Amino acid sequence: MAGMKTATGDYIDSSWELRVFVGEEDPEAESVTLRVTGESHIGGVLLKIVEEINRKQDWSDHAIWWEQKRQWLLQTHWTLDKYGILADARLFFGPQHRPVTLRLPNRRALCLRASFSKPLFKAVADICRLLSIRHPEELSLLRAPVKKEKKKKEKEPEEEVFDLTKRLPRPGSLADKTQPHSRWLDSSRCLMQQGVKAGDTLWLRFKYYSFFDLDPKVDPVRLTQLYEQARWDLLLEEIDCTEEEMMVFAALQYHINKLSQSGEAGEVAGTDPGLDDLDAALNNLEVKLEGSAPTDVLDSLTTIPELKDHLRIFRPRKLTLKGYRQHWVVFKETTLSYYKSQDEAPGDPIQQLNLKGCEVVPDVNVSSQKFCIKLLVPSPEGMSEIYLRCQDEQQYAHWMAGCRLASKGRTMADSSYTSEVQAILAFLSLQRAGGGGSGNHTQGPDASTEGLNPYGLVAPRFQRKFKAKQLTPRILEAHQNVAQLSLTEAQLRFIQAWQSLPDFGISYFMVRFKGSKKDEILGIANNRLIRVDLAVGDVVKTWRFSNMRQWNVNWDIRQVAIEFDEHINVAFSCVSASCRIVHEYIGGYIFLSTRERARGEELDEDLFLQLTGGHEAF
Amino acid sequence: MGESHDDIDQMFSTLLGEMDLLTQSLGVDTLPPPAPEPPRAEFNYTVGFKDLNESLNALEDQDLDALMADLVADISEAEQRTIQAQRESCQSQNHASSLGASDCGGVTSVGYAANVTAVGISPYEDDLPPPPDDPMLDLPPPPPPPEPLSKEEEEAQAKADKIKLALEKLKEAKVKKLVVKVHMNDNSTKSLMVDERQLARDVLDNLFEKTHCDCSVDWCLYEIYPELQIERFFEDHENVVEVLSDWTRDTENKVLFLEKEEKYAVFKNPQNFYLDNKGKKEVKQTKEKMNAKTKESLLEESFCGTSVIVPELEGALYLKEDGKKAWKRRYFLLRASGIYYVPKGKTKTSRDLACFIQFENVNVYYGVQCRVKYKAPSEHCFVLKHPQIQKESQYIKYLCCDDARTLHQWVTGIRVAKYGKTLYENYQRAVARAGLASRWTNLGTVNTAAAAQPPAGLRTGTSQPNGQLPRDAPCLSDALRESQRQADTSKVGPEGQGGHELPDRPKAAFQASTALAASPYSPKH
Repeated sequence: MAGMKTATGDYIDSSWELRVFVGEEDPEAESVTLRVTGESHIGGVLLKIVEEINRKQDWSDHAIWWEQKRQWLLQTHWTLDKYGILADARLFFGPQHRPVTLRLPNRRALCLRASFSKPLFKAVADICRLLSIRHPEELSLLRAPVKKEKKKKEKEPEEEVFDLTKRLPRPGSLADKTQPHSRWLDSSRCLMQQGVKAGDTLWLRFKYYSFFDLDPKVDPVRLTQLYEQARWDLLLEEIDCTEEEMMVFAALQYHINKLSQSGEAGEVAGTDPGLDDLDAALNNLEVKLEGSAPTDVLDSLTTIPELKDHLRIFRPRKLTLKGYRQHWVVFKETTLSYYKSQDEAPGDPIQQLNLKGCEVVPDVNVSSQKFCIKLLVPSPEGMSEIYLRCQDEQQYAHWMAGCRLASKGRTMADSSYTSEVQAILAFLSLQRAGGGGSGNHTQGPDASTEGLNPYGLVAPRFQRKFKAKQLTPRILEAHQNVAQLSLTEAQLRFIQAWQSLPDFGISYFMVRFKGSKKDEILGIANNRLIRVDLAVGDVVKTWRFSNMRQWNVNWDIRQVAIEFDEHINVAFSCVSASCRIVHEYIGGYIFLSTRERARGEELDEDLFLQLTGGHEAF
Repeated sequence: MGESHDDIDQMFSTLLGEMDLLTQSLGVDTLPPPAPEPPRAEFNYTVGFKDLNESLNALEDQDLDALMADLVADISEAEQRTIQAQRESCQSQNHASSLGASDCGGVTSVGYAANVTAVGISPYEDDLPPPPDDPMLDLPPPPPPPEPLSKEEEEAQAKADKIKLALEKLKEAKVKKLVVKVHMNDNSTKSLMVDERQLARDVLDNLFEKTHCDCSVDWCLYEIYPELQIERFFEDHENVVEVLSDWTRDTENKVLFLEKEEKYAVFKNPQNFYLDNKGKKEVKQTKEKMNAKTKESLLEESFCGTSVIVPELEGALYLKEDGKKAWKRRYFLLRASGIYYVPKGKTKTSRDLACFIQFENVNVYYGVQCRVKYKAPSEHCFVLKHPQIQKESQYIKYLCCDDARTLHQWVTGIRVAKYGKTLYENYQRAVARAGLASRWTNLGTVNTAAAAQPPAGLRTGTSQPNGQLPRDAPCLSDALRESQRQADTSKVGPEGQGGHELPDRPKAAFQASTALAASPYSPKH
């Protein structure tokens, strides 16, 4: 073996001295010197190192990193010659797994040990397994933004409370939206090779917007993180939506926050501590209603609870100056009838309206004690408008709940009636607290914490456009339509609505097309490439992956050339990010489209690397 | 309407259903229907009990039997009257239905069970195996005679059975039924019993049985509103009775049974809706050539993901101002959440859009001859309205497109946005149904109808001949040829060092082709 010497101490074999530092790339670190030959195997060298160090420790995770070549020596049966290692090689004997700070899609930081020696694709798969996120191929890591953006990250609060005063920086232009994509790490190389150091902060994000087989039953973590990524996308205006859509998003967030805070994912009605008294008050009511609620097979045949009371009614008509008038109103099944007085009730009503399919709009101002229900009732002739004015919150909540159910064709015998009443009462109390009323916070300390902060739920431009007291009722209004969803249903609904946005899932890169003299934007989505005019923002051209024949990368001139069917050729050089990232994005989407519909198939890592790699030669 | 009136309606409906069943099972092919037999232990009963279970339990066995007998007796008088009416009407209408072969496709009207004075029941002209029994019309056996057995258990059992039966009957009686007169395109009509649980798909299947048409996916139930001059097809998942309940009593509206290519055009040629990029030339050229495989992947991409992709659609349309005669041109965009327009002086970015309408409470209809009636700029109009609105109203929205193609894109886009994946499921069911029908004829199952009415030949309107497989079935040889071509062209680009092939073919073929291209990125040493 290496190190044979004569009696005088001269080495008689071809052995030489190899110096190996112990630790993570620290030149000051302790080092050991071994006597090796070119035929020494890496495995043998490793053993010798451990012997030399002579310290009791689990060395199993340690391996040799060759600094000059930026390469791990992982093939233990290879010889030093085969690797081409000579005496001048700077080798480090260090752990393959090192701690990193991971920023999850929900913006929380997580410290964990990630593999610095496996290709990133595998390292991400390991991380995802740890977090129990299925389909790790859809995620990847980005470098944390540097310098000025670092400040932003610190400002990014754990509890997402937006405020007009400290506005978050947001991407305004398309050019800004290209920035994050320059930071993606390379999937085919390991973290070490990409200059990541132990303790660095990295972002974990869904990179490819093609979510395979998303199943709320088996994907709770994946669903939550995806929801969080979608949420931040919207709040940071990475993706635009309309006002109506934003209200639905806000309502879903509010609902999800409420459910996750109460910790009862399955339960519908939140248990805000501020509502305890209310709950107590409602308990009696609940008992009463449950008593009359049918539970047996005969539910459809039993009597249906009805509401009867004096309400003030107003019917807006042309050429009329009449205001609200008191009537005796009977609400049975889905039909509302009103009479001049209670005495006339057995006779014919003044009018009878079937509320099935009608629009129910609240017209409420808690501070001025105005509790109106506006009904837009469809009839063969068109829509008839009618306003019901209630005396107080309780009355309003019951009639409102009845109207809402009736509009969906259900009666007050429906099991959701009670929770609906409760939700409306909660709605009113929130409006009192959340600035829906007079806007001043005189309701005690509870008001600000328990109430809904609409600015935490909508993108900044809506914060600028509307006042909180304008937003709150609209969000709560939209909330009525989603109040029955469970936590996962709400998250899924949010993700679906996000996916339905026209600009969903497009990653932007600044490129220069061959033959063009100005920078343009290339958008990459899961099924197509788009060319966008940088100044106007219009989509100039769309190429679909399904028509794509092949793509090539010329690493020397950083140019990507793509060939489509019918000899359409497109070539561009990348400006905002390296062409490696663009290339990997395209290859990644092609890979994802090969996934079989069947579940549980093993990841074809080789195929992925084949499609996204190919630049090692460079 | 009084309660008694309701009862009679229901009895009438049930009776009709029963007659229908009888006619079917007897295979009557002569003109007069069989003299209706007095109904067996069939009764109608719609009373709300506080606790029916309890009151029924309290009854003695004999009492229970007596109750049923009473119920039967109660309705017999009403039956006699209705039977008489039917007999007359059947005779008068049989001429129309004897047209046989040309039955398919047509024109229509609906009669309410309540207000139809003469309802026709068309007897079957052939001996086709009867359609699968409608569970609805399944008559339970009459109550068993009083048990001679004295064992308490058996008595209890028998009583329980009877109560169960009575309850079922009561539930049954609650089921609303309508007699729907469906118009065929030869001006004949067919009357169908439709109960409130049936979907348009069920009714179509029923009509397939009756007309022996080719069952292609294009067949649809079509509602037309002569007064509003609007029309649309029922979506297969829609509840027919629910839709018809919105019609007014004296309505002129009709239900037709006909073929409409537009119904599932989006699934047959998705590229026309998803890849139609504002009339770019090269896109149009490739459009016609799109092969089945590509179509399939386009459909998969659009309809099988976590959420359905709504076709990208935007452009200038004319909008009829509320209650006014003028038509105003505006730039509209379709999104999953509704139709939006670009307000004056704004851009078409998401942030500036104003919501025009959301789809939750409206249906989309085709406008007919709006040019004459409303002075529309073109004939290609669509209408959005709440299904319950039956008369002209400011709440009905009229929009007008420049051409028919745009119109279909908008109507289809709105349907995709409104119904989402359901639409695709409907289509798949329709394809399955059509496939079943064609296989049936392929197997040479000779039915008597085939002899009487030569298949396919007479029907000029059908685009899909019997026996053809669903057209989107991928062709194996095509795929093979395709992958062959792929392998041939997989040369490394001249300037590049790494060529990348697209694995959109079967994986084996793909791997073969990448093997050729793999050399450039050989592992480093």
